[in-house]
Amino acid sequence: MAQRAVWLISHEPGTPLCGTVRFSRRYPTVEKRARVFNGASYVPIPEDGPFLKALLFELRLLDDDKDFVESRDSCSRINKTSIYGLLIGGEELWPVVAFLKNDIIYACVPLVEQTLSPRPPLISVSGVSQGFEFLFGIQDFLYSGQKNDSELNTKLSQLPDLLLQACPFGTLLDANLKNSLDNTNFASVTQPQKQPAWKTGTYKGKPQVSISITEKVKSMQYDKQGIADTWQVVGTVTCKCDLEGIMPNVTISLNLPTNGSPLQDILVHPCVTSLDSAILTSSSIDAMDDSAFSGPYKFPLTPPLESFNLCYYTSQVPVPPILGFYQLKEEEVQLRITINLKLHESVKNNFEFCEAHIPFYNRGPIKHLEYKTSFGQLEVFREKSLLIWIIGQKFPKSMEISLSGTVTFGAKSHEKQPFDPICIGETAYLKLHFRILDYTLTGCYADQHSVQVFASGKPKISAYRKLISSDYYIWNSKAPAPVTYGSLLL
Amino acid sequence: GALGPTSGASCRLLPLLLGLDAGSDLGRGFVPASEQRPLQATACECLRELESCKPGLLGGSLGLLRGLLGQEGPVQPLSLLLALALRNTLVLQSRVGAGLGGLLTDKVPPTGGGPWDWTLVEEGDGRLQPQAPSWPAAEEGEGERSLTAREHSPEEARELRAAVIQLLDTSYLLTPVAQAQLLWLLGWALRGLQGQPPALFKPQLVRLLGTAQLTLLHAVLALKAAFGEALFTAQDEALLLRRLTLAAQHPALPPPTHLFYLHCLLSFPENWPLGPEGEEAAPLLLGPQLCRGLLPSLLHDPMALLARLHLLCLLCAEDEEEEKGQLPSPRHYLEELLAGLRQRAALDEGPRALATVCFQASYLVTRCLAGQPTVLTPLIHGLAQLYRVRPMLASHFVDFLDQVDSELREPLKVVLRQEVVSRPGRDEALCWHLKMLAKVADGDAQSATLNFLQAAAAHCTNWDLQQGLLRVCRALLRAGVRGGLVDLLQVLARQLEDPDGRDHARLYYILLAHLAGPKLGVALGPSLAPPALASSLVAENQGFVAALMVQEAPALVRLSVGSHGVKGPLPVLKLQPEALEPIYSLELRFRVEGQLYAPLEAVHVPCLCPGRPARPLLLPLQPRCPAPARLDVHALYTTSTGLTCHAHLPPLFVNFADLFLPFPKPPGGAGLGFFEELWDSCLPEGAESRVWCPLGPQGLEGLVSHHLEPFVVVAQPPTSYYVAIHLPPNSKLLLRLEAALADGVPVALRTDDWAVLPLAGDYLRGLAAAL
Repeated sequence: MAQRAVWLISHEPGTPLCGTVRFSRRYPTVEKRARVFNGASYVPIPEDGPFLKALLFELRLLDDDKDFVESRDSCSRINKTSIYGLLIGGEELWPVVAFLKNDIIYACVPLVEQTLSPRPPLISVSGVSQGFEFLFGIQDFLYSGQKNDSELNTKLSQLPDLLLQACPFGTLLDANLKNSLDNTNFASVTQPQKQPAWKTGTYKGKPQVSISITEKVKSMQYDKQGIADTWQVVGTVTCKCDLEGIMPNVTISLNLPTNGSPLQDILVHPCVTSLDSAILTSSSIDAMDDSAFSGPYKFPLTPPLESFNLCYYTSQVPVPPILGFYQLKEEEVQLRITINLKLHESVKNNFEFCEAHIPFYNRGPIKHLEYKTSFGQLEVFREKSLLIWIIGQKFPKSMEISLSGTVTFGAKSHEKQPFDPICIGETAYLKLHFRILDYTLTGCYADQHSVQVFASGKPKISAYRKLISSDYYIWNSKAPAPVTYGSLLL
Repeated sequence: GALGPTSGASCRLLPLLLGLDAGSDLGRGFVPASEQRPLQATACECLRELESCKPGLLGGSLGLLRGLLGQEGPVQPLSLLLALALRNTLVLQSRVGAGLGGLLTDKVPPTGGGPWDWTLVEEGDGRLQPQAPSWPAAEEGEGERSLTAREHSPEEARELRAAVIQLLDTSYLLTPVAQAQLLWLLGWALRGLQGQPPALFKPQLVRLLGTAQLTLLHAVLALKAAFGEALFTAQDEALLLRRLTLAAQHPALPPPTHLFYLHCLLSFPENWPLGPEGEEAAPLLLGPQLCRGLLPSLLHDPMALLARLHLLCLLCAEDEEEEKGQLPSPRHYLEELLAGLRQRAALDEGPRALATVCFQASYLVTRCLAGQPTVLTPLIHGLAQLYRVRPMLASHFVDFLDQVDSELREPLKVVLRQEVVSRPGRDEALCWHLKMLAKVADGDAQSATLNFLQAAAAHCTNWDLQQGLLRVCRALLRAGVRGGLVDLLQVLARQLEDPDGRDHARLYYILLAHLAGPKLGVALGPSLAPPALASSLVAENQGFVAALMVQEAPALVRLSVGSHGVKGPLPVLKLQPEALEPIYSLELRFRVEGQLYAPLEAVHVPCLCPGRPARPLLLPLQPRCPAPARLDVHALYTTSTGLTCHAHLPPLFVNFADLFLPFPKPPGGAGLGFFEELWDSCLPEGAESRVWCPLGPQGLEGLVSHHLEPFVVVAQPPTSYYVAIHLPPNSKLLLRLEAALADGVPVALRTDDWAVLPLAGDYLRGLAAAL
């Protein structure tokens, strides 16, 4: 259940080593246990240098993938999880939990409390999930509010002290490193009994609760026979409860209007103390019917001090907010494009912004463009082979806009124009980027009545909503496009 | 050491830590009140680490810890410490067959100021206890078995249950990761214990199932593995699977989490597993409907794609009698997906990773769906097409052919060979074609292959290409192709620009011309010795060294000089060979030291077997002067394993007497006159001497008949013998043995060669002894 070592490595492509170890820590007592448990199959934790090299090789982050290398490229070396075996000095270090995020590689080696040959199944190694949680925790800490490199460095320099608290002797006690930071910052004054470990102090001040619902909508639209368009809403409800008392009991409810789309696939924060079985079982896996549970969704909880993600959900709204079609044809030397976008009447026509990005992959720079648009402006990024159609804050009354034109390209030069393995030939997409404030597609909302607090004083409730597009693709209907299995279910 | 179990320091350390932990006066004196709790927590962590490394250490303090947890102690560190100590104690006590006794209720610290009680640790042999054993290990572990066998008294069971409930009830106060640890510890501690119903965990489960926390869901899976149906009914199992399926694709969770959940799905601890243990399989309850959202698409990153592809393959494998109509056929979807992957791999500018993932996917499919021609046939043709479009992927193809079973390999080889040989001639891909052909060329379709090579030879202008071409020739040689290959190699040996290439071609030609099939196979087969460098040329050379080059070996053959026979115009050495192991094509080579004789011809023996008598070998000598000599002997032979060996044999000695030849009989018959004539002819150039020749018991007659019989010209037994010996090339030795006494005979001798005199003297003097 413990970790033998942990590393943070910055990925620096183009440099000789392609990376630098920014932080590493080893746990000697755990290592001692590893030696006993693993017996003959024990492989010691390597030095930073060899570890860095082996990990970058395994993750394919070294710059030299020009030649076929059997130990990396062989078809039988299949990795299906973020857990690797690293060949170091002729021995294989396993299991190494590692992933790359924002140019930082997070890696750790959990203790396996038995022999490693034969390898036990990953599911049975408790340290693996702890390792992931550890790395996610570090990642959250490093990137919460971090803007630039110097802030990152400051946080990295805080890590040794924090890990002393969050992960003493290699056993992870709290993945939320900010708790440990708060702990070190104020030696809490005579904490009363039954203080939750995830709550480092108590709030003093005016009671207030803020709930913000962010929905992201993704879509794949094909405009084709035999392939269904798909779209999905993914919601995140973030709360901050500033309430006095050690463990105030709160119930937060999410509501839907009568025509709202039921929430599904609900995952809740661990501070939620109990869950209605209807919430637990409403799932997108099942075929939808009218009997689906449509709220109110009640979450009884004892909130932590900091802001937290109360729950995540998905939902299947009846129509996509913007329905589009995109046609692209290759005509000798030029491409002819036609785009139509239609905002659904039920959607709030008041965007913070709305843009359509129209990239042309695997071609040269844009040489010449002629176009006609019914609405908005077009920006041309010639070198990047990209068009951005800025639609603005509102769709026109008709709710429908169009763009058509022809594009010609110059000679390809590999450094500047983007490569894409999917957009080959006429296969192409446009991607919508938009944001609507104070609106959710499902209709999901929280209001003054959504929060029940079983503590003294009535808190001030503030609620926020927004809808953001994410992975909102409209594919050229005149060419093949990548489909998911779901799109074939008509 | 200083902190060994019996040292004074550790005897003081533990009570100190426990005292700090308990917040006793000892602790209070140390720090201000505000730091009391962090200090307590830290003491707990230290104790937990000690207990981890020395299981059973805190067995005597269970009651104390329980009490602290119930009062004011910091919940999380105490809970984890208590759970760990409890678990270790249960395991250790059951091993020694003891109960918990009052351990859970004794609230007095066992130290009481006295020395620390290490007895429990000692009983546990100081053996480390897995805090959360891996599942199969736990099932096999003897310790676990005895744990289940042990029955606790009703009071013990009640106290234990109370302690566990106490821990579980406050578990929501712990951070999620600490909760997960607690569940792993308690789950495996209570597994199989009588009087401890797993239902204790039930109240926690619904809460845990709702979260997205990786550790918590993982801990639930551990409970599932520990208790199975006792904790999870079929409906619970279905619900857990659904939550897991959902978590494996939930857009709000990060990709590494998805992948881990997907792994958990395929290794799901089912209540009633059907398949073989330890193999990834889709759980029974995970039907196509549930899997819908977990299927791969081209938009996934490689790891997610492969993980999901595995699931798809498992679905296809189950899907033999699929219900038509309802869903799109998974198999059809799989085919489309593979086609898409190949299309990406075929992209000119695509990074290698795209090709790698395509071949990995193909490999996964062949592993999961072996024996399903409906899947494999299109796969083979798709790959052939991929090769046609992008031959530079040859290395991937070669690797793929190495990895897959013959079911796929053989047909794929055929179509790839066709791909290569059907478009001969010069292009940039020639080096890839040659690489491919070296892998797939065999005895089939010889003429097409040879035609291709002939056409290609003209374009092989650099060293690389020539080596590639020669590698194909080599592959053909191994496959036993002979006919057209001889011509090709001859042409190559003349035409190739690079001398190295020409040499290689000539070598192959010579091998082909001179070695029989099996020997050729051995010669070109993979080297037995691991190559010192990872270069194919070095490997090839080492193969040759082993198979073609002559190996130095200890002599497997013995030679002895047989009896002396005198026939013909030259002295002949009769040799008797004897083999220690079966050897073939033996060639014996002789070298005369000092060039006393003309060079000797080698002697050949086709085969020698131990125990089977061999015919003697006759070695004619052509002396340049009549003198004894030493012969150096070398043997060259082939062993039954096909290796050619060279051995140095002990030298052979040609004695003076071995050179003796009789004079040819003159036309008038040999008689006294003939002898006198020879006798007189020796002088004046020659030499004359008298030698005393000792006689043994057999007397003069015996001596003569034994040694000199063939050379006697005039005999008057038993008193007088005239002997004439011809010493090649053209010397004479004439002896008169007359008037023997009892112990010797005076010998008058003449020779026309001064150099012979001492030899003759030695010879005569040694005769008696030599008998």
